Amino acid sequence: MNLKRIVAVAAASAVALGMTVAIATPSAAATNYCKVTNLKAAGGMDALVKAAKKEGQLNVITLPRDWANYGEAMDLFTKAFGIKINDDNPDGSSAYEIQTIQTAPAAKQPDVVDIGVAALNGVTGAGRPSLFANYKVATFNHIPTEWKDPAGAWYGDYQGIIALAYDSSVSPAPTKISDLTNPAYKGMIALGGDPSGAQQAFMSVFAAAIAKGGSATNIQPGIDFFKDLKKSGNFTSVVANGENYVSGAYKISLSWNFNGPGAIASAKAAGKTLKYVIPTDAVLAGTPYIQAINKKAPHCAAARLWEEFLYSENKGKLTSQLTKADLKLSGSKLFAKIMGGQNIFVLGGATPINKDAMIKAKKIVDGPAGLNIPKGAKIIQPNPDQQDAGKKLVVAQWPTL
Amino acid sequence: MQKSEATHLDRKGTPAWGALTGRLLGLLLGVAPLLVFMAVFFFWPLWSVLWASFQDNYGTFSLGNYIQVFQEPYLSAFKNSIGLGLISALTSSIPGAILAYLIESRGSERLRRLVASVSSVLANTGGVPLAFMFIAAFGMEGSATMLLKNLGVNIYAGDFTLFSFTGIVFVYTYFQIPMMVIVFSPAVHGIRREWQEAARNLGASRLQFWSNVGIPLIFPSFIASFLLLFASAFSAFATARAMSSGTIALVPLMIGNLVDGNVFVDSFNLGKALAMGMVVVSALAMIPYLIIQRRAARWQA
Amino acid sequence: MRNLKLASLPMYLSLVVAAVYVLLPLLSAAEFSLRQPATHNYGLKHYIWFIELPDFAHYLILSLGLALGAAALVLVLLVPTAVWLNLGGHKLRGFIEFLTLLPLVIPVVALAIGAQTSLPEFAQTNEFVLSFIYAILALPYAYRTLDTGLKAVPLKTITEAARGLGAGWMRTILQVVTPVVRSTVLSALFMTLALSLGEFTLTSLLHWDTFTTWVTTMSQSNILGAIALSVFSLVAVFVLLMLIGLFVKPASNQVSMEEN
Repeated sequence: MNLKRIVAVAAASAVALGMTVAIATPSAAATNYCKVTNLKAAGGMDALVKAAKKEGQLNVITLPRDWANYGEAMDLFTKAFGIKINDDNPDGSSAYEIQTIQTAPAAKQPDVVDIGVAALNGVTGAGRPSLFANYKVATFNHIPTEWKDPAGAWYGDYQGIIALAYDSSVSPAPTKISDLTNPAYKGMIALGGDPSGAQQAFMSVFAAAIAKGGSATNIQPGIDFFKDLKKSGNFTSVVANGENYVSGAYKISLSWNFNGPGAIASAKAAGKTLKYVIPTDAVLAGTPYIQAINKKAPHCAAARLWEEFLYSENKGKLTSQLTKADLKLSGSKLFAKIMGGQNIFVLGGATPINKDAMIKAKKIVDGPAGLNIPKGAKIIQPNPDQQDAGKKLVVAQWPTL
Repeated sequence: MQKSEATHLDRKGTPAWGALTGRLLGLLLGVAPLLVFMAVFFFWPLWSVLWASFQDNYGTFSLGNYIQVFQEPYLSAFKNSIGLGLISALTSSIPGAILAYLIESRGSERLRRLVASVSSVLANTGGVPLAFMFIAAFGMEGSATMLLKNLGVNIYAGDFTLFSFTGIVFVYTYFQIPMMVIVFSPAVHGIRREWQEAARNLGASRLQFWSNVGIPLIFPSFIASFLLLFASAFSAFATARAMSSGTIALVPLMIGNLVDGNVFVDSFNLGKALAMGMVVVSALAMIPYLIIQRRAARWQA
Repeated sequence: MRNLKLASLPMYLSLVVAAVYVLLPLLSAAEFSLRQPATHNYGLKHYIWFIELPDFAHYLILSLGLALGAAALVLVLLVPTAVWLNLGGHKLRGFIEFLTLLPLVIPVVALAIGAQTSLPEFAQTNEFVLSFIYAILALPYAYRTLDTGLKAVPLKTITEAARGLGAGWMRTILQVVTPVVRSTVLSALFMTLALSLGEFTLTSLLHWDTFTTWVTTMSQSNILGAIALSVFSLVAVFVLLMLIGLFVKPASNQVSMEEN
């Protein structure tokens, strides 16, 4: 009888203890997503998706829809997870992104940023407070070492190659940068902005340098090339954008290859036929753009889900292909069904940062035709120091071109 | 005649202490709110720009930004911007003044109001839309270009391009002339017809009236309006950026590149120093105006 | 009669030249906005496109509200100051004029950056702070217009005449001063409205969305739609100003150069 009683009390205590623990645990395990540093700590994809859905919104900044196929990425993310994306100043600059982090009120803070390397160098380094939250995406090991922070504060996402864009009416069709001196192109050539301020325009000058015998350490031939073009009247100082193109103010320009698909589509809608081709005399790759999660992000789970999405190497469905049934799937299953961000970049003509790993694992999709790098071409990629040296020369000489 | 009338009424209508409290009340009600308003929304932001202009990229005090301002290409940029301001003000103030005079003196009230509305809208055009409008009309395949080509005139035969200093001055007239009309019309409004008639009765010719009475009267207002046009062209940003790809050195463009660009993202404060440079130039430009205005004050009875 | 017509000839001629100069770029741009490449003809497709965008009405009304707020601020802040200065505050005149010209002196980009760092948190989260900023931007033009207009009117004389005849200050201001300065004040307000409705740089740098920034976002991939929106903006503001002008009766006894 005594033994039975002891066992009963022990059992009751065990149950009581178990219940207490069971009640206490959930509150202790409530995750602070702002401090989560990887998927495991987030509790797995299902938990992350659930938390992100609960937040319901994602603040991005300066992401144009037709830049590296971001439009498709944002649409897919919103449709799959029901998270509304707020894009602050789509045409803004990297400087604007940093300024916003440093000065905007809490509600206007971006969750994630996509900045150029120049902007990154301006805010990282000894003596500067960190603006970004550490987070290592699932495919973090696939990112080349030189393009990520060891602790996961920032990481490269995609890069582009400078391409020649020209109207179909241009004859003869240019195939290399050196062709641009042809007198038939008088008044036709433009850049997408001021090389002293716009990264794309600056790299175009670098591409011209490569074509004219310069190198990653010598941008002068590029500046001289444009000087000659201006003198001969081939180069016109109008800004190369959609409206000016449609009005015939220019017919040829240089821009990132990943802006091609979007530009070609917009031009078609406006009644013009635009062509993009990688020049045969210069294959200039830009440094990768950099992703990072803002330390002051208002929607921490959504921010981390977005990063997992951008670095996913999945071959899956695009926005138009998602079905109602797909949307009913659990978080991780749905995530596995949709096209990963890295491949969305490829579809936009960009080179994803995980390219080497994806090719090895045969997970990469085919990019748009015509934007492929000519076989055997030597790709030149000026590093940040080389770019800095080039910038000094451009800033000094461009205004008096 | 008016002056003695005024003092007569003054003595009769308001006691001395009343005038003083009236003036004080006027000061408080009229000017103080304006000062407070400007302090919060203008001087405070201006102060943060000034403060930051004396800092380097790490936040320590430094004169380095200002040293750079006096070097190339920024020095050329200041010269160009000042030149642009002066030339644009000159080419727009005179047609604008003439137009203002013609409309104010000969137009009906309805016409004047129509012109005021149109001018207000036009004076605020700029940036990409304005650049596009001019490209659509005068660009390589612009409507006016084509029209002139059909008439045998090819404006692109030589070196002409919209995207040069001259081109920018040309495009600027689109908003500068309307601005001149708006700010100068009230001055013309004030040349009373009676004075012209009185002068005629006393034997003066039209030319004599204008050179001795009319022009001296409206001269300060003309200078003030000219100054406004100068400041407007000097600091115009969006239109110049849409039209030049940076091949023309202008200070607002450089500030834009430093403060809102993608290439030099580690020299924010240099842009602020340049902005303070612009403030200094504009402040200096106002000195001639203040001198002329003080001299002409005797006309304002 | 004949004299009148001859006298007006230079005015009509110059108006015609001005009209051609103003309309040519506008119509050239409008031609693009009416193109419908898919069907090779002209039509209002792009205008219908943006009118049917979900947030069109919201942003239009928002921008209008902000513009009216700015105009109200200008009215309340500048008109009393300008009137007071013209009634006898000569000493402060130069100082005030200098002050009001200052906003013109800084490029908008720099002012925006300054505002980002200086404005307190509550100011940056309330949209109506934009009205205050637009008012600052409009200050130089509005004040210049007001001042020039008031100088041209014998303000001191008529106010003292009214006071001498026994009218109190309120009555003087309402019944004597107001009709005389009405069209000048209207001009100043027009400038403020047009400026507020077209402002883009400061608005986008301060992370706000008004009609102008929304336009830019929406027309990212739609070139002809973007052109249609900018043409619409210009014409719409003009129509708005005309409508407002209709509500203000033209003063009948203006001291002016009008023919009798």
